[in-house]
Amino acid sequence: MDELELLKKDWKKEQLEFNTFADSEIYSMLHKKSSSIIKTLFYISIAEFAFWILVNTLPYFLSDSYEEKLEASYENPLFVGLSFLSFGVIILFIYLLYNSYKSISITDNAKKLMESILRTRKVIKYYVIFNLVMIFISIPLSLYFEFNQNPEFHERVASMDSGQMLVLYLITTLVTGVIILIFWLIYRLIYGILLKRLNRNYDELKKLEV
Amino acid sequence: MNKELEHSFVEQLQKHQNIVHKVCRLYTNNVDAHNDLFQEITIQLWRAYPKFRGDSKFSTWMYRVGLNTAITLYRKSKRRINTQQFDNIQFKIKAEEYDDTEEEQLKLLYTAIHQLNDIEKALVFLYLEDKDYREISETLGITEVNARVKMNRVKKKLRTILNP
Repeated sequence: MDELELLKKDWKKEQLEFNTFADSEIYSMLHKKSSSIIKTLFYISIAEFAFWILVNTLPYFLSDSYEEKLEASYENPLFVGLSFLSFGVIILFIYLLYNSYKSISITDNAKKLMESILRTRKVIKYYVIFNLVMIFISIPLSLYFEFNQNPEFHERVASMDSGQMLVLYLITTLVTGVIILIFWLIYRLIYGILLKRLNRNYDELKKLEV
Repeated sequence: MNKELEHSFVEQLQKHQNIVHKVCRLYTNNVDAHNDLFQEITIQLWRAYPKFRGDSKFSTWMYRVGLNTAITLYRKSKRRINTQQFDNIQFKIKAEEYDDTEEEQLKLLYTAIHQLNDIEKALVFLYLEDKDYREISETLGITEVNARVKMNRVKKKLRTILNP
């Protein structure tokens, strides 16, 4: 193709129309902040951990009655088990996340680099899913314990007719559903915007393989 | 030690900065965006530099990091102001008075390249840098056959853009 050959000739010229940066300018560039998606992804994952740890611990410090209830619930082996599980999972995810960040190398080929970034994003995603599942489990579970341990609540529920029970079920399901939906939308939005370009380019490379 | 490393890095980058400028030339179409991408590639190069062993040429290593930054890591920074785009000026020329000088043709070519997607631009870049299909496939992580097929498609697409 003649046009491309013409371009190549121009390309090979030593002096292109760029303004050459001096040593001092390059020095100052080295110490500027990066705006790469890896860095943003890293901040998001830190925020993610901080958020879920806060959600899990803040009520304990803020409300005395919650603290009492929580202490009482530790007599229940199921709650103790769930708490241990959460801690184990946090440690596991920190380890996985550390590993996947370490595996990101800018000198890999483009496809591999994209894959390691997408893997990191998946680790964060699984952590979020884990937390949402925990919410999903803990809402009916805490209602059940409330029913068993709080006589006032027990009586009120026991005296309900089937219609009122249905309403209670519906409200519980609805609230849980809305919470999960909101989280899901937020994540779609954050990662959708952040990884738009990467996803598009990755798809383009994948398409070639078929 | 760190100062020494910094010094040798800056020295090499200064010498080879045309490679980074060329990546920016294909992926951006105004001066601010160009400098912004240049800045990001420089940061990425500097971060990866301690691991650069010198078993590949500095320039080869540079265009890999440069391309990876452009097609994968780079996010447009907010501080950018939108200055007049190169392409628009050229479009106007095309519509009003098209004369067949080399200069004019080159402008049209760059305009056409800016309409390609990121991966296609990477192929054009590697083609212009005279890389063979083995190197292209290694840089992008696709097979040699696919690199060849894709390159032909890109050339065809460019031809269609240039002669609609």
